[in-house]
Amino acid sequence: MVVPQKTKLSFDFFSKRFGKISTYFFFILFSLIVLLPFYWLVRSSLLQAKDLLKIPPIYFTLDLTPRNFITLAEQIPFYEYTRNSVVLALGSSLVSVSISYMAAYAFARIRFPGSNFLLWTLILSLALPEIGTIVPLYRTLNAFKLLDTLNGLILVLSSAMIPFTVWVLVSFIKQVPYEIEEAAIVDGANIFQIFWRVLIPVTAPGLVTMLLINFVGAWNNLLFPLSFSASPQSKTLSVAITEVYAGYSPYGKPWELITTIGVVMVIPVIILVLFSQKAIVRGLTGGAIKG
Amino acid sequence: MNKKSNPIEISQVNSTLVKVSPWRLSLGKLAARRYLLFIILVAPAFLLRISTAAYPILQTIYLGFTNLNILGGTNEFVGLENYLQMPYDYGVRGAFTFTVIFVLASTILNLVIGLLVALLLNTSFSWRPFARTINLIPWAIPTIVAGYLFRWLLDDQFGMIPHWVYITTGERMVALISPWGARISVILVQVWKEAPFMAIVFLAGLQGIPEELYDAAIVDGANVWQRFWRITIPLVAPLVITLGMFRIVWSLANFDLIFGLTFGGPGVATSVLSLRIFQEGILFFKFGFASAISVVLLILVGITGLIALRLFRRYDVTY
Repeated sequence: MVVPQKTKLSFDFFSKRFGKISTYFFFILFSLIVLLPFYWLVRSSLLQAKDLLKIPPIYFTLDLTPRNFITLAEQIPFYEYTRNSVVLALGSSLVSVSISYMAAYAFARIRFPGSNFLLWTLILSLALPEIGTIVPLYRTLNAFKLLDTLNGLILVLSSAMIPFTVWVLVSFIKQVPYEIEEAAIVDGANIFQIFWRVLIPVTAPGLVTMLLINFVGAWNNLLFPLSFSASPQSKTLSVAITEVYAGYSPYGKPWELITTIGVVMVIPVIILVLFSQKAIVRGLTGGAIKG
Repeated sequence: MNKKSNPIEISQVNSTLVKVSPWRLSLGKLAARRYLLFIILVAPAFLLRISTAAYPILQTIYLGFTNLNILGGTNEFVGLENYLQMPYDYGVRGAFTFTVIFVLASTILNLVIGLLVALLLNTSFSWRPFARTINLIPWAIPTIVAGYLFRWLLDDQFGMIPHWVYITTGERMVALISPWGARISVILVQVWKEAPFMAIVFLAGLQGIPEELYDAAIVDGANVWQRFWRITIPLVAPLVITLGMFRIVWSLANFDLIFGLTFGGPGVATSVLSLRIFQEGILFFKFGFASAISVVLLILVGITGLIALRLFRRYDVTY
């Protein structure tokens, strides 16, 4: 005979059936699976090349060296690559969110027969595989002299992120009660004032969230810089890591350098995510659940 | 403020904005202003998408009918020759087969493990905030870094994972050297990278289930299994289907992971269509052939989309 308990989460599958012990077992398993690769990445970047090739592998040692970071900075145009990654990520997230916000407002507040269809066309365009557009885009960018430029990359990358951003922002804006805008209209505000004084402050959390998600997406992107960049003028860290991977060292692949640049790519994003976990989750689920 | 005040009065006060919420457009001069505003707001987004996605796709479809080769200097319309050649092309055949295997296997695993992780993250225990935070790490890591990282982790000589396998079972693991070992590795790494995102969305879905349902079930004498299968699963099913469809489409487009982890090897064992397109186009400069393969990929995406529409209609997904 089951006696209903007054626990807060009475539908806990794990804790009811298997008890706290198994919950913690799965939690530890989960944490190990998620964190161990990350640990291995950092460990490999802090070891000397010859220490990496020991059998059995060294799991823990205090004999660390930052030399790999220095070597990396000497062998590749580190400053340019990092600058490009930052500019690309910032630029495309700003462009994408601005354009998406305007469009999202229009879709959320102005409706007419066919507007929903237009919205879905825009959103579903995220299903188009980017790899299928590389060849024509290469030729187009070449014609406009945008190859190997950050501007060209920002253009292409921000466009790629618009559908998802619009999707999420539409549901965020729809949650803002229209009465607020009504009040502003009665007070004589024009469209710009409504945007800046009313809407943006109210939807600021959603905006920040989408900026973060777009930043992470642009920072991690490989395909576009790989296809459209030719020189450190516009190559990003993601391309850089493929170049390091293709390099040679006396021991075979330069894993100590590969993991080093991996760490450089990963640390900023990890820090961002750690501090804004709730915001990012809200953004990632905003489109799917409330849409 | 009296909301029932005469709409006409409001329009006389402010000529730009007429009707009150939400703006239902009809014909008329002032409605024309609304259409104009709509067009202005929406134009940049549509212009960008059309110029960088829609039009290039059309160009790709056209290029698929040519034999454009930058290196060979050919550029003629050859009709279906590219497509007829594909079944005989070793690389494309292998890529097509594994693409289907990869997409289906990784999506199913992603959904299952995503759901399990979501259940874990929904359970109340003191370390839960920590678990929810580290859950985002695989999602945040650049895919190419994950590819190289696991290439290193699975290295048959110096990698951590084969070492563990050797310690516990005495077997030498050759994950990335044998064809099926590489395939399984690719699928599992994909799951490592993508299941956390699934878990986040499923978690939101789980949190939306009203607790009263479970309470009522407990009162009616349902045990944990029955509560899970009769309440949780049906309520989460639409979300699973939606996410599954997205996952399939995204897996089809996936490039970075296999590029880094195996580059399609050994041989073409882990080659997928997106990688094949890259190789034929950017490496071999056979733009025409690469475009034809892109069209095949597009067809796969389209089929998935149609299946998705069917499923959404049937299950009345209202997300």
